[in-house]
Amino acid sequence: MIRVRRNTELGLVLLAALITTGAYVLASLGRSATLPADVGPFLGVVLALLGVAHVATRRLAPAADGMLLPLAALLNGIGYVFIARLDHKLAALQSLWTGVGVLAFVATLLVVRRARDLERYRYTLALLGVGLLMLPLAPGIGQNINGNRIWVRLAGVSFQPGEMAKIVLAVFFASYLIEKQALLSQTRRFLGLMLPQFSLKHLGPLLLAWAASLVVMLAEKDLGSSLLFFALFVAMLWVATARATYLCVGGLLFGAGSFVAWETFAHVQDRVRIWINPWPYDHGYQLVQSMFALAAGGLSGTGLSLGTPQRIPVVTSDFIFSAIGEELGLFGTTAVLAAILLMVGAGLRIAVRADSGFEKLLAVGLTTILAVQSFIIIGGVIRVVPLTGVTLPFVSYGGSSLVANYILLALLLRISSDSAERHAAAVGADETRVQYRV
Amino acid sequence: MNKQIRRLGVVLTALYIVLFGFLNYWQIVDADSLNKHPANTRAVVRDFTRARGAVQTADGVVLARSVDSKDNFKLQREYPEGALFGPITGYFSFSYGTDGVERTYNDLLTGRGQKLELRRLRDLLLTKEHNANITLTLTKQLQQVATQALGTRRGAVVALDPRDGAVLAMVNFPSYDPTPLAGHNQENVRATWDLLNASQDKPLLPRSFRERYFPGSTFKVVTASTALANGRTPTNPVFPQLTSLLLPNTINQRLSNFGGSRCGGNIAQGLRVSCNTVFAQLGLDLGGPILAGGANAFGFNQRPPLDLPAPTTSFFPDGGVLDKDKPALAKSAIGQQDVSASPLQMALVAAAIANNGTAMTPHVFAEARDSEGKVVSRFRPKPWVRAVTPEVASQMRDLMIDVVARGTGRLGAIPGVQVAGKTGTAQTGRDTSHAWFICFAPAEAPTIAVAVILENQSNVSEVTGGVDAAPVARAVVQAALAQPRPAAP
Repeated sequence: MIRVRRNTELGLVLLAALITTGAYVLASLGRSATLPADVGPFLGVVLALLGVAHVATRRLAPAADGMLLPLAALLNGIGYVFIARLDHKLAALQSLWTGVGVLAFVATLLVVRRARDLERYRYTLALLGVGLLMLPLAPGIGQNINGNRIWVRLAGVSFQPGEMAKIVLAVFFASYLIEKQALLSQTRRFLGLMLPQFSLKHLGPLLLAWAASLVVMLAEKDLGSSLLFFALFVAMLWVATARATYLCVGGLLFGAGSFVAWETFAHVQDRVRIWINPWPYDHGYQLVQSMFALAAGGLSGTGLSLGTPQRIPVVTSDFIFSAIGEELGLFGTTAVLAAILLMVGAGLRIAVRADSGFEKLLAVGLTTILAVQSFIIIGGVIRVVPLTGVTLPFVSYGGSSLVANYILLALLLRISSDSAERHAAAVGADETRVQYRV
Repeated sequence: MNKQIRRLGVVLTALYIVLFGFLNYWQIVDADSLNKHPANTRAVVRDFTRARGAVQTADGVVLARSVDSKDNFKLQREYPEGALFGPITGYFSFSYGTDGVERTYNDLLTGRGQKLELRRLRDLLLTKEHNANITLTLTKQLQQVATQALGTRRGAVVALDPRDGAVLAMVNFPSYDPTPLAGHNQENVRATWDLLNASQDKPLLPRSFRERYFPGSTFKVVTASTALANGRTPTNPVFPQLTSLLLPNTINQRLSNFGGSRCGGNIAQGLRVSCNTVFAQLGLDLGGPILAGGANAFGFNQRPPLDLPAPTTSFFPDGGVLDKDKPALAKSAIGQQDVSASPLQMALVAAAIANNGTAMTPHVFAEARDSEGKVVSRFRPKPWVRAVTPEVASQMRDLMIDVVARGTGRLGAIPGVQVAGKTGTAQTGRDTSHAWFICFAPAEAPTIAVAVILENQSNVSEVTGGVDAAPVARAVVQAALAQPRPAAP
């Protein structure tokens, strides 16, 4: 069973490498009708990076799910090909960040030997999470880029601490909610309805963490991340307690938050107006170009390097999905949706199979981050929801995002491997594990 | 918790189904309207960077082609024949859009035509150009003859094959060279554009099909045909010999013959010398509705289905209105007052008579072939208007033969060939007039119909059309008959 998973993973990882290299070659053919001069080294680097990641799971998380790494590799590869096709300088940086991401992936598997160890550091992590979120507000190192104060510049390297903060806070939420699970699930009868016990003692710290993160988000004007945090929090609370009341309360809080944001920020009103009707506004240019790109792609796309997605501002990060839509068409966008959905499915499967409450909830949290963040940005660029700038996990350009997502992936694989191993041990297949844990 | 996790899975999946639904909407359902949205310049840019098919004449001369450029656009459109075919090819300009064949057949040239699109699925894995090369019905040889015959006189020449409506030559003077308009240096392009637009001679105006003039006496062909179709014969009725006609419902407004000459007689005699009083009276006798019906039967008040952008609609007033304004009716019958016609329209009048009364759909497009030489599209001739019956057409042919043989159109005659024609002079000022000539030949089995107009010639007499315009037409007809067009497949 374990060996099968790893061999499946190896096969799929090789497939992802081949698809990525194939796309890279096609992009070059589309651009200049020549094979890329560096196709050999390119394949070598892709194989080396994926090889390192694969060997790391084989050694450090041998029983982990075999789908997640290849899917992430595929998304990362397709994203890279598009970034390389759109902006050579960014592509060099992105390859560097992919390397760092893979290292972070290995390091996470190395450091976090058991997912349950994380449970012990919950308050440290809560503090760390809030600290990371606040960091961009610190004078001197915090930076304002494109009206968002979400960047930190230290020793010549800029990064978005918020990307890490969401993972750290997911760990905190998971451990905290599990500890208070019984309390939070208690109900009492009120006006004929079964309502949870709301007591400041139990909910207080949680609300505080949530409020703090929201306040910071609004101060940093990062609406996408704010929405993501909120969805993460509500989803985890709901899964932990099975109380629909929390969804209702969450909905009310969301409504209140939206109202405050609408009243406070002109650009929130702007975004909503553009979402409803992008045509008359100068600011709608980006979204209009995104829709033109999607339409230009049609069913099968213009072909790699044969479209003009560079007409969309910030196409390499927020709008990379539209570039895929133009050049790979509905086929390409559907493939990306399917890959993300498969990852989400794998993540939730890990959550279902996990045998400890904390691991379950953490897997749910991490998967929710992946699913909701992807939904927010894809929905934003195809006009399903108002546009809020977040990255498309693994696909968009962005070092912090890439590294954070590889850590997220490592944590999911860690949980998956731990519970599968325990399960194997429980049914007395211990020798199997020993045999293949080489 | 597992129940909750599964429910969460359902919710998240639903979110992605919504995304998938929207993608289908934008990329398939609404794609067409987004692609055609006026704010969407992608199509222009894509067409500009995409290989574009060549345009060539029927005798194989390249009129438009794309060559490699060293800049961002990758390809540069050029027009080797320049102004000779400018108004036909049109231009393909980044700033000013397209005109001519470049506009009408854009989809074929860029490979977005439907037939090409269907073939593309099969060709998904093959690298090859999908754009088609277009062959026109015009020849460089005849276009050159017509251009030289017209010389530096403002005007236009239109030569059609009456059998299928193919445009054989279409010349405008002045004309323009489209190559500078297709340039990639937008400042230079704008300078050229502004210069062309500032010129009083309107070189960007393809007057052959986008400008209207008084048809003058050439319109008598329409009036005579209408009379023959309505119970008159070439020899009956007979009109009195007059120098001028007193217009009804006026004190003493008179419609004179040119130079005060005295003429009259039957329709045949009237047409031969282009007698104004005969046709004015004939028009009054026929009445507004019948005359207007006759003009409409020849295609007046309808946009000719020429496959070049925006051909103008020739105008003849409403019959009921003319009945209430008899002087206007009399003047309309001789192609004056508010009557106006494009050179193309008058060529179509000649072509209709030549083709047993039916004007075929005029077209410059012959066929399109893909990069392998396979025909992807070919023009199928179709009738446009049925102007008169074959009997009337046959009578008219004889009358028009007579005009060239013994009447005002003698300079249009060609030894050994029977030419049928009609001159026209439309006075535009005290000392200026448009000189017209329409004709077809060989009269017994016509293969070419021509209309010539020379703007604002500086002599005014009934023979102006015959003197100035007829020789131009004669040169074109002679050249065309010397090199017969290969029979259409």
